[in-house]
Amino acid sequence: MSAIAVARETAARLAAADAAGLNATLHWSEALLQAEAARVDALPIAGPLAAMPIALKDNIVTIEAPTTCGSRILDGYVSPYDATAVRRLRAAGAMMAAKANMDEFAMGSSTEHSAFGRVRHPFDPDRVPGGSSGGSAALVAAGVVPAALGSETGGSVRQPASFCGVVGVKPSYGRVSRFGLVAFGSSLDCISVFGRTVDDAARVLSAMSGHDPLDSTTLARSPMAVPRALPDLQGLRIGLPREYFPADLHPGVAAGMERTKAALRELGAELVEVSLPNSKFAVPTYYIVAPAEAAANLARYDGVRYGPRKVGPAGDIRAVYQATRGEGFGPEVQRRILVGTYVLSAGYYDAYYRKAQRTRARIADDFRRAFAGGVDLLLTPTTPTPAFRAGEKTADPVSMYLADIFVCAISLAGLPALSIPVGRSEGLPVGAQLIAPFCEDERMLAAAGAVERVVAAAEEVR
Amino acid sequence: MTWETVVGLEVHVQLRTRTKMFCGCRTTFGDPPNTNVCPTCLGLPGALPAPNAEAIRLATRGALALGCEVHATSVFARKNYFYPDLPKGYQISQFDRPLATGGRVAFDSPERGRIEVGITRLHVEEDAGKLIHDRFPGKTAVDLNRAGTPLAEIVSEPDIRSPAEARAYLVTLRQILVYAGVSDCSMELGSLRVDANISLRRPGDSMLGTKTEVKNLNSFANVERALEAERERQIGLLERGDRVAQVTLLFNAATGQVRALRSKEESHDYRYFPDPDLPPLVLAPEWIADQRDGLPELPEARRARLEVTYGLPAYDARVLTSEVGLAEYYESVVGAGVEPKTAANWVMGDVMTTFNETGAFPVEAGRLAGLVTLVREGVVSHQAAKRVYVELAQRPGDEPKAVAERLGLVQVSDQGALTGWVEEVLAAHPAEVARYRGGETKLMGFFVGQVMKRSQGKADPKGVQPVLQAKLG
Amino acid sequence: MSIGRDDVIHVAKLAELAVKEDDLPRLVDQLNRIVDYVAQLDQVPADGASDLFLPGPEQVALRDDVPGSVPLARPPAALAPEFADGFFLVPRHGAMEDL
Repeated sequence: MSAIAVARETAARLAAADAAGLNATLHWSEALLQAEAARVDALPIAGPLAAMPIALKDNIVTIEAPTTCGSRILDGYVSPYDATAVRRLRAAGAMMAAKANMDEFAMGSSTEHSAFGRVRHPFDPDRVPGGSSGGSAALVAAGVVPAALGSETGGSVRQPASFCGVVGVKPSYGRVSRFGLVAFGSSLDCISVFGRTVDDAARVLSAMSGHDPLDSTTLARSPMAVPRALPDLQGLRIGLPREYFPADLHPGVAAGMERTKAALRELGAELVEVSLPNSKFAVPTYYIVAPAEAAANLARYDGVRYGPRKVGPAGDIRAVYQATRGEGFGPEVQRRILVGTYVLSAGYYDAYYRKAQRTRARIADDFRRAFAGGVDLLLTPTTPTPAFRAGEKTADPVSMYLADIFVCAISLAGLPALSIPVGRSEGLPVGAQLIAPFCEDERMLAAAGAVERVVAAAEEVR
Repeated sequence: MTWETVVGLEVHVQLRTRTKMFCGCRTTFGDPPNTNVCPTCLGLPGALPAPNAEAIRLATRGALALGCEVHATSVFARKNYFYPDLPKGYQISQFDRPLATGGRVAFDSPERGRIEVGITRLHVEEDAGKLIHDRFPGKTAVDLNRAGTPLAEIVSEPDIRSPAEARAYLVTLRQILVYAGVSDCSMELGSLRVDANISLRRPGDSMLGTKTEVKNLNSFANVERALEAERERQIGLLERGDRVAQVTLLFNAATGQVRALRSKEESHDYRYFPDPDLPPLVLAPEWIADQRDGLPELPEARRARLEVTYGLPAYDARVLTSEVGLAEYYESVVGAGVEPKTAANWVMGDVMTTFNETGAFPVEAGRLAGLVTLVREGVVSHQAAKRVYVELAQRPGDEPKAVAERLGLVQVSDQGALTGWVEEVLAAHPAEVARYRGGETKLMGFFVGQVMKRSQGKADPKGVQPVLQAKLG
Repeated sequence: MSIGRDDVIHVAKLAELAVKEDDLPRLVDQLNRIVDYVAQLDQVPADGASDLFLPGPEQVALRDDVPGSVPLARPPAALAPEFADGFFLVPRHGAMEDL
């Protein structure tokens, strides 16, 4: 099929999704899609992603479309440069289809914190798609695009992938350039991928991975290979960290995990119990490190060089700063900026930030030890429950933070991890998480391809 | 009652790179506003820093030239504050793990003789942009061309004991950094900036008094003046029994006064933390050693060597090493065969005059050597040679001999011509001739002078005297 | 450690965020809830691990000093809320003039 034809169909599906009230897109246009298609059709050789339409979370910058990060403070902002990931995907033949709705500046776990309205779960409009990359997840789950880029800081792709029943892959930190990904927590942020299948996600990851001289935190490695799904898992040892299987786990999720373990055994893998004792500190550690980095990363939104400017009554530069930021940032972003500023401020650095750094090192060390002990991959649930109802966790920020309890530690350790759908509980998807050692992304994807083949993801568990 | 002055200086120098600290934008001075900018130095959403290798190399050289220990691992940190010239809302600097620590600068204090001032640290950071307040009514204009320019910040220990000593320290520091090729250190172009901390205490006290910081110092002379003014202000306070408040002050060069800057509230809580966009800066020990080996001879060592090697007086050696270019030129003149002291006289005289005016050495060392040879061989007089030099500076391609001939400055030693001038002079001064013959031999100088005058300076003085003696005897 | 009203005002000032008087009590509650929650890190022993954990490269790669930066598809004038004669403009501020 020609790129022009794909573009036309994609536009029709995007229009249908918008009409259905999913609220998953922030910007797309038929004209832009056609321009993308014309560019792809003119490529001398069809790339590995030839004519694949890809949605972008709205914190990944492109020259053509606005980048708002789901925030009023960037209302109408159009980037004068493209993200490295976008340039690489285009070179591989992909078409940028739409900018997807998200929690403001990627802060949230439900995509209810967008300044442009919440995203609906594609299977149940009263529920959330997860977050913060909820728009991207919903577009893939609704069949609008085969793949979408999200971003992870503490699980923002794996968690919504699990809620929406799609594949969500977070690569090792440093394998995909962050140049052009609007920063939230720089030491945690990873451009990550949603796909209908493991292979879709792997191909997209492979096309955009590799060292980028513009991002000093990328690894000096060649791009990731696209691994072939393993025929079986003979000889593979898979660790089950006991801290990730609490007694009060949601029964549907617990059943999904039983189904996954059975599938792994059937494929020939050996399952062993391991321990990651410091993972219980991951969420509090994350809620010091990420806000501290965010408070500095979001200081550039000051109404001086770009974005809308507001001026308070005093009319001076401070009045510009305070009004632009006070009116431009939503409540969750303001809370995190305040927390981040507090934990770095004079007298509190040691009590919070330094302690969090130390704990982060311990959390990472737990994983290193588990893998050094002869385990090839780890298996955990992705989320403690299936998708929750809109409004259920917005009153208490900490209850929302706990939605990321199984994904946070991996982000702190910089490891690759993915969520694959393994069943449905009362119609809602349940996801399983596979975690690999640093830079063993390919091993993880090859194993996930095998699981995907045998597990009945569309069927009710138990 | 007497007070001891305690001064520490923070010096920012712009590192001599082609591009900025964290992006490939040019560091050219004087381009139209906001033209040397890119996503990174504008602080656009999603842009990231990529550090400049040359900036790190120059800062390392500077640190080594100042005798610092350069650390194998140092860490970039974010210094957080809001200001319209600071695009990201934080400056990338170094904090608790700087590039280098523990150096020293030795120099002659105007009051205490030879002293050493400790260097606490040298770290790299990025510059802010420029604010212009007088161009648009009611507005401040922001130009970000300078934003992200690489700087080294050099912090001294509070080892300086007077305003004059502060100036002498700066002169020496600047000399070292220029020698090492680290920075142009031009205060006019803003590539060297100074903040001074000053406090007073009773002689013998080990505790430091409350210090104030003086900013906006745009010349070494003003550093000295500002510190004098602030010392007087503090003495006034202390002698009245008042306390010195910890404030930032601005020096007004027009009035010679310091005034307290409205205190920027909360400005001291910079919330430094390691920049997560930049992994640690790791320098191999062998690379650091290579940088040390690659340092040029520094002013101190060069001065000593010029004294010993060429037998120059201390004064000459100091003048000749005050600028690296001057010392280089001097040594190439000596290398071209000129006797060292003669070369020193030339370089400290006419050459330095041209250098101070133009900042250049238009007369190639070999040509200057040729000119000196003409003097030694009696082809031109010393006075004539100075005129030839001026002409050569205008026309650097010409040969000294040709210039001397063109200007008619070549000395005449032809006996016939000399005898003619001598006879004319003796005929014109019969009285003096009689007095000479009567025993007043010191009149010889008078006759030589008259011959020189009559010949319009062309007569060779060494040839004139024997002819005179023959005619008078 | 608990956060009071004055702490929130102080931190908001550092972060240049205008906080409405009416929002203060709720913010104080929420920040306390968050800070109380993260305070469980007090249980983590201080020994052993280092202070700086970095997931990416162990050392920074340096760039050659060669001009060439990411080009701007649109000039600064097209981005700025207020711009004239090549300059970004902001309101003039007394204390600003001093530096």
